[in-house]
Amino acid sequence: MLTIVLPILLFAALVLALIGAIRRMNMWRRGRPAKVDLLGGLLAMPKRYMVDLHHVVARDKYMANTHVATAGGFVLAAVLAILVHGLGLHNRILGYALLFATALMFVGALFVFKRRLNPPSRLSKGPWMRLPKSLLAFSVSFFILTLPVAGLLPEGFGGWVLAAILAVGVLWGVSELFFGMTWGGPMNHAFAGALHLAWHRRAERFGGGRSTGLKPLDLNDRAAPLGVEKPEDFTWNQLLGFDACVQCGKCEAACPAFAAGQPLNPKKLIQDMVVGLAGGTDAHFAGSPYPGKPIGEHGGNPHQPIVNGLVDADTLWSCTTCRACVEECPMMIEHVDAIVDMRRFLTLEKGATPNNGAQVLDNLIATDNPGGFAPGGRMNWAADLNLDLMRDKPSVDVLFWVGDGAFDMRNQRTLRAFVKVLKAARINFAVLGLEERDSGDVARRLGDEATFQALATRNIQTLAQYRFTRIVTCDPHSFHVLKNEYGAFGGDYLVQHHSTYMAELIDAGLLNLAADTGGSVTYHDPCYLGRYNGEYEAPRAVLRALGIEVKEMQRSGFRSRCCGGGGGAPITDIPGKQRIPDMRMDDIRETGAERVAVGCPQCTVMLEGVVEPRPLIKDIAELVAEALIEDAPSTRSTRREAPEVIA
Amino acid sequence: MSDIIRRDPRAEWIARNRLHPLHAAMQPHQLSWMGPNGVLRKNVHGVGFIGPNGIKRIDRSGVQQGGSSKRAASTQEQRVLHQVPAPAFYIGVVPDMVGGRLSSHDRDLLGLARQLAGSDGAVLAVVFGESKETAFATAGVDRLLLLDSEGYAPEQQVLELRAVDNQFAPRHWLLPDSRSGGAELGRRFAASLGERPATRVWQVKDGACVGRAGAGLQDVAQPLPRLILAAAECAEPVSETRHEALEVQLSTAIASCLPRIEDLGAVAVDPAAIPMAEAEFILSGGNGIKDWGLFHKAAVALGATEGASRVAVDDGFMARERQVGASGVWVTARVYVAVGISGAIQHLQGIGACDKVVAINLDPGCDMIKRADLSVIGDGTAVLEALIVAVDNWRNASSGGAGLLANQATRSA
Amino acid sequence: MSIATVALVSIGAHPASGRARRAEQDARAVELGLELAGDNLHVLHAGNPHEPALRAYLGMGLDELHVLEQPDGADVVPVLRDYIREAGVQLVLTGSQAETGEGSGMLPYLLAEQLGWPLLVGVAQIESIHSGVAQVLQALPRGQRRRLQVRLPFVITVDNAAPKARQSAYGPATRGLINADVVEVTVDELSTTGVLQPAKPRPKRLKVIKAKSAADRMKAATAKAAGGSGQVLKGVSAEEGAQAILKLLIEEGVVR
Repeated sequence: MLTIVLPILLFAALVLALIGAIRRMNMWRRGRPAKVDLLGGLLAMPKRYMVDLHHVVARDKYMANTHVATAGGFVLAAVLAILVHGLGLHNRILGYALLFATALMFVGALFVFKRRLNPPSRLSKGPWMRLPKSLLAFSVSFFILTLPVAGLLPEGFGGWVLAAILAVGVLWGVSELFFGMTWGGPMNHAFAGALHLAWHRRAERFGGGRSTGLKPLDLNDRAAPLGVEKPEDFTWNQLLGFDACVQCGKCEAACPAFAAGQPLNPKKLIQDMVVGLAGGTDAHFAGSPYPGKPIGEHGGNPHQPIVNGLVDADTLWSCTTCRACVEECPMMIEHVDAIVDMRRFLTLEKGATPNNGAQVLDNLIATDNPGGFAPGGRMNWAADLNLDLMRDKPSVDVLFWVGDGAFDMRNQRTLRAFVKVLKAARINFAVLGLEERDSGDVARRLGDEATFQALATRNIQTLAQYRFTRIVTCDPHSFHVLKNEYGAFGGDYLVQHHSTYMAELIDAGLLNLAADTGGSVTYHDPCYLGRYNGEYEAPRAVLRALGIEVKEMQRSGFRSRCCGGGGGAPITDIPGKQRIPDMRMDDIRETGAERVAVGCPQCTVMLEGVVEPRPLIKDIAELVAEALIEDAPSTRSTRREAPEVIA
Repeated sequence: MSDIIRRDPRAEWIARNRLHPLHAAMQPHQLSWMGPNGVLRKNVHGVGFIGPNGIKRIDRSGVQQGGSSKRAASTQEQRVLHQVPAPAFYIGVVPDMVGGRLSSHDRDLLGLARQLAGSDGAVLAVVFGESKETAFATAGVDRLLLLDSEGYAPEQQVLELRAVDNQFAPRHWLLPDSRSGGAELGRRFAASLGERPATRVWQVKDGACVGRAGAGLQDVAQPLPRLILAAAECAEPVSETRHEALEVQLSTAIASCLPRIEDLGAVAVDPAAIPMAEAEFILSGGNGIKDWGLFHKAAVALGATEGASRVAVDDGFMARERQVGASGVWVTARVYVAVGISGAIQHLQGIGACDKVVAINLDPGCDMIKRADLSVIGDGTAVLEALIVAVDNWRNASSGGAGLLANQATRSA
Repeated sequence: MSIATVALVSIGAHPASGRARRAEQDARAVELGLELAGDNLHVLHAGNPHEPALRAYLGMGLDELHVLEQPDGADVVPVLRDYIREAGVQLVLTGSQAETGEGSGMLPYLLAEQLGWPLLVGVAQIESIHSGVAQVLQALPRGQRRRLQVRLPFVITVDNAAPKARQSAYGPATRGLINADVVEVTVDELSTTGVLQPAKPRPKRLKVIKAKSAADRMKAATAKAAGGSGQVLKGVSAEEGAQAILKLLIEEGVVR
């Protein structure tokens, strides 16, 4: 009897899965077109899955091994089950192989089951609680079914009772694992995930590459939407990417805004996009809600505006664009791109940048700096430093990109310290002076692509007039934008963060440094230096050269927690239960360090905003400048501490 | 003031020296004068002084000339009286009279009018509504025209100014370019006369005037027109002369117009609701505030607009729009009282435009105290409590003699 | 009932950089108009229709903006007056003062005078308009308000007490239409008599002590300078501290 039922069951499930797959693909295709290498992507997919994705998953050994056993066992078992039970190839070797595969899958499923006994809060519940049982049902049913094939049990063992039980088991297993895969069940992640890896919008990320710059909007194309209003305004492969989410909640655990009680949960956001893609409400979402927003009140469909239907605007504005979610996501989903796309629509079409956002953007347009300071005051901080201007010295080694910190009295100390270091190393450098403009970072993260592009093109025009080997900046945000985002507008430069450059200077022996004596130090990785640009080592190398042993925080390196200052978050200022910099300062206090080294003006401002007593905040440039030993008496004059410039 | 009489040889010397400019001021009060019936009247109370034992002493030796018992009052020097018996021309001034008194802006304007009037011209002040001012003479008013006006009636006032214009034909009209009414009235008047005024004038020199233009990035220089709307501090107020402040009357009755704009009266505004950038007086609280109820009470008692440091806002004690600083509101208050704010750089940037900063803080080394004009080292709660009491006392005392106390305060400055 | 409303806008200049932008107060006038008349608001500019900063007004959600095309230095009052008369407008909204040129703030006064309409200045809010009678709140210094009643038609100027203008969005700004009419040009006399020059900073007025005698001059010269670090009261009782503060507050005239 089973020999008749089994193939029907298997093939019926496969046919249903195929119908589901077509239906699902049509859902994704509601999105806008995207330039993707379809065939090349598919061919590259196995490698992306085995190497790049596994690399991310392997950060959690338990889950990595579990997944290898379960998924590997399942894929093998599925193929063999179709051959053996579907096509009736009752071969003994195939039988043994299928037994092995189902056993492997069973072991994996057991570990999945164990994890689901007391799941951490970041994991979604609901149908996901059913999945280990489905996996067990599938593997056990097929294991027993295959025993006769392998010749370990006689045919017809157990009679019709066992046959009926097994049939139910198989039905359960294949509905969840074949047909559920394309009809929106938990196993949807395997199907959508595989295709997402194949047609990822940032193919450069695979094979050890890095792609973090936001994709430009084509403002000359009047027909193209300015950002994303409705789910169908995403590109189709973005929609596919959302659908690939496994709801593991790694993003939720890493998100600083979620931890601070701001109304953002990256996992929920992606799931809301899936709801928007398929239509419906978020009532079936079985994970943590956006803090302070109950589940079940939001819904939408592909043709309805997202904001105030699916998600509220403050959810989008809570994001600090720190990329911790993207870094953690085992499916390599691009949360930040999606958030900025939706912000673009709010800013460019609705004019709904919250709080100080509108003012900051107006200031950027009118004064080229977010504070609205008179552009003529950009060089006041260096009034007594006799810096060379690019205009007078059109060819230099280093173009020192000052950034908008020039208007901030605290950051001026960092800038002056770095100038001291450059002078001590006798570097041939110059600044743009009044020709410099804001890099456009804040405007872009706030969704104002138009202002960003205006600033970028004008900066590129300015830079094109001069010859320099590299650009060095103390601001990781400018660094990131100049390095990764100006390329799309024709600006390709060698850009370095000052920590990288100082590490090079120290290696080259150009700096004569005394050992630092100021007490213990921990280092806070800026998001835009670390996760965005992979520079974790140079700042630590500089600190080592000062004789400092960094007391690492638990969350450091690629897991570093954002200071709360990125993405215009201090400007949009969405209230939460606590402040992100306070949480980061608690991380810092945990190390017991007396000082925290930073490499970003935003981090400095945010961390110094924490109420005292707290560890001292020092930019790396300040630490190096303090440790400088100046040999020749002729340089004495530059050594004298000049009074702070008050802008 | 102590009862001990201290001789002031210098004052005595000035009193004897008729050539000294302060000679008149140092003379003891007039002791005798001719009465209306030709009888010599004497003020016996003005003679002599109270001795250290409280007994009145009369010294007829002449030594005691310079020091009468009214010595404190006599330091008020007598200004020279400037008279314009027959004005060759008039300079019309319409002061704002905020609260019925000349404001400092009005005094500056009168100073400018005096400059323009010279020795032949007369400054004609046109005052609408009830006036409580007593110092028109020392402010430089030669002729004073008091006109009735009630509530907000700019259109009626323009009609009256036109009548004044017809009768006195002033060479120049000066109005304060202020939000307290002068800017509006001046422009209405100009539009009604069909004359182009010079606005936001801050300098008048040699028949030309310079005023701010546009958004304040430019000045406009032009020949002095008849109508001038002058900014505050356009000239030094009159300080050396006294003037007659003779009241004049309009010779014609003013036709009253049917008011097209009806004044329904003032609307109660909560000082806490005033936008911070507009506020003149801000009481700002920070991390050092333990009792926010008391803080709000103090703000009400002082009539101050509330502000806060970033920390106080982050901790949820104050609304975000109340945050002062680089990332909050840049305030322009004349007086900024910071309680329990240590003064992060961003905060200090935000109060850069404040005139006077008062700090109340426990930590004498904090940056706010370095910035402050007056700092009190102490517990914010205690000082605020004392401040509420002090203000209440002052208000009670001053309800009778506000002028006196204010006067005292300025003198001790 | 919808009231034919027109907002007059000009090209502004950022106070720090001097760069062209939407004028702050005019944008507030547009905001007030949008709240009052919604899509029926008519926005009018006299000047150069090709100025990019004009689009910032369109970015507030306007479909179109009407421009009476004129060269720089032309008098805008006659053309605005004629336009408003012909257009059957009942309510004119405008900022108090232009950010470029002389910025005398006379335009609304001249316009109201020539139209023969009442003018309300410094309006913070239009509370209601019923059967041709409007109640408005006028802003007074230090955040005070006065309620006024006036009959249509009338002219309103707004200043910084009016609600803040909404953000100008890029999308509507690029899509909006600018309709330009060529109009007769009257030359403005100021362009011949006045000279615009960069603003001179005005130093803070020093407290001049009128000294009539050498001793007074000596006292004035040796007195502690007004600047420098402030007075620090340490180790005083709270009451003494409060008295010192109160004295300063009274001197400054902020406590009344």
